Amino acid sequence: MTISKLLVANRGEIAARVLRTARVKGIKTAVLRHSSEQEGPAHLIADEVVTIEGSTPVAAYLDIAQIVEAAQRIGADAVHPGYGFLSENAAFVAALEKAGITFVGPTSEVIDLMGDKIRARAFVEERGFPVAPSAIEDDDPATFVERSRTVGYPLLIKPSAGGGGKGMRVVREDGALEAEIDTARREGERYFGDGRLFVERYIERPRHIEVQVMGDGQGNVVHFWERECSIQRRFQKIIEETPSPALTAEQRDEICETAAGIARAVNYRGAGTVEFIYAQDGSFYFLEMNTRLQVEHPVTEMVTGFDLVAEQLRIAAGEGLSAAQADIAQNGHSIELRICAEDATQDFRPAIGDILLLDEPRGEGVRVDSGILDGGKVTTDFDPMLSKLIVHGRNRAEAIARAREAVQNYVILGVTTNTGYLDAILAHPDFASGDVSTGFLAEQADTLTAPGEDVSDLLMAAAALSDERLVSDVMQIPEMHRKMGGWRN
Amino acid sequence: MRRIYQIDGEETECWLSHDGRSMILNTPDGAIPCQLDAAEAPGGYTLRVRGRTYDMRVAVGPDATFVHLNGQTFAIGRVDPAERLAGNDGGAVDDRIVAPMPGVVVSVNAKAGDQVKEGQPLLVIESMKLETSLTAPRDGVIAEIPFAAGDSFGLKATLAQLAPEEE
Repeated sequence: MTISKLLVANRGEIAARVLRTARVKGIKTAVLRHSSEQEGPAHLIADEVVTIEGSTPVAAYLDIAQIVEAAQRIGADAVHPGYGFLSENAAFVAALEKAGITFVGPTSEVIDLMGDKIRARAFVEERGFPVAPSAIEDDDPATFVERSRTVGYPLLIKPSAGGGGKGMRVVREDGALEAEIDTARREGERYFGDGRLFVERYIERPRHIEVQVMGDGQGNVVHFWERECSIQRRFQKIIEETPSPALTAEQRDEICETAAGIARAVNYRGAGTVEFIYAQDGSFYFLEMNTRLQVEHPVTEMVTGFDLVAEQLRIAAGEGLSAAQADIAQNGHSIELRICAEDATQDFRPAIGDILLLDEPRGEGVRVDSGILDGGKVTTDFDPMLSKLIVHGRNRAEAIARAREAVQNYVILGVTTNTGYLDAILAHPDFASGDVSTGFLAEQADTLTAPGEDVSDLLMAAAALSDERLVSDVMQIPEMHRKMGGWRN
Repeated sequence: MRRIYQIDGEETECWLSHDGRSMILNTPDGAIPCQLDAAEAPGGYTLRVRGRTYDMRVAVGPDATFVHLNGQTFAIGRVDPAERLAGNDGGAVDDRIVAPMPGVVVSVNAKAGDQVKEGQPLLVIESMKLETSLTAPRDGVIAEIPFAAGDSFGLKATLAQLAPEEE
């Protein structure tokens, strides 16, 4: 089958990015827009904009029945979900299948399997792929302490019902194990009303490394190499790069082949990402599989030269993969910076405001995937990520230099963003040497948010002289008074 | 013409004057002759101060001026001292906790009449799916917390008010 009309069931930068490729392929395009939402770049690219309703904008983008009905109404024969929203929702895929509309992504069964972290982990482990050693109390409560010992130290005790780090205890020696289990159980009961626990090996200063995979659903799976995503705040990535500075060529092959093997085991269709925890000693463990395009997919495109959305659309149309594994090489180095409306000096508090001036960087090796327009409003309706700045260089040092120059020249005035913070990370010697872990931003918090050179007199002069009313009032003061200097009103 | 500028939470009172030749920004640290000329780029200006020139981008918002300088972005809050005096019915700035963004109150941990310490959490709000704890700006007594858990509020709403400090 061919895709003649594609509905992008998403918004912001990813909708714009998907639409661009669809247009290049000659596919008719449509995109959603909530009735209260401002115009964004995607609405200017799409042939058609479909208005959706909902009590909140996010609720509208999660409304399966409404979106499937919209796709039918406009005659779309395929839907691309982007990331987030309904991209990993098996019920959405099933509803589209029932309506005879192609979902650009994997089957609902695979989404279901990989969406259940415990089942996914068990599936991967049963097939011989590495998972962090662990013990689950529910499997056999009577032997839980014994089984915990065999996991090895240091280990991490977690409440089964938990989240957000509450009730988690690190145990470094056997003597403390039973007492810590008791404490964790009490905390689990207090926080979650559920004292059941599990333990897993605690990885010190881990890295987050993931692998881009792509399958045709006919048994063919290739990988597009890895991405290093260890620079995270609030458990969310803000800088990603490829190749990872941590891996040797052999380790790179091993982790990428492992990811492709996991995708093969589920006869994967479409684009997916297998995420791993990577320990300082080079061992790595399956974390989870994301069954969609990732935010950070552009770094992979920059070094491999492939358009991953074009590959997704080929596969959805039944045309298969455009490349064999041997055709996919890494050339140079790419870094992505997530530009977010937030205040890095205030615990990454989201910022809102009107975009008064927007001037994006340009130049060799610079790509901007943006979800905002000059004059737009940044509200609390959606995620604070405004755009992504992606650079390519011949090597990592050149990529870092280009990223710094580009982020310094990214002008967004009117709303607080993290551009200065991202630049401070790029300038940090440990980032330059590649010696980072997922704890890097927390460990270096004070250095990264330290105030720079005091330019407040320049800023006050700029604020005063750009204030037309103030300047005009000052100029209207009679000459005599002006000459007195220090005249006050 | 006096103005109060807020940079990184710090307020500086200045006044702008003209000595017949150039504009002068009078700051607590001294008088600075300065000149601002439009440049080619969108929002582009050249600032001349003490014989040096600085290329910058400037955008003037309703309450703050935004400046992009040397690869960094700054927000300079503008307060008109006259307006502050005229509109000073809500207590001193330090007595109020003002909503940094619109959102929903998750929990309220203090009530009117409570004696609180600086830094003590008074209420937790949620905006953009993130929870933020708002703390007392100084030691004092709570005069009012007008919102309850579950209530929505807008930008700059007063979420908590301390009783005025006794002199």
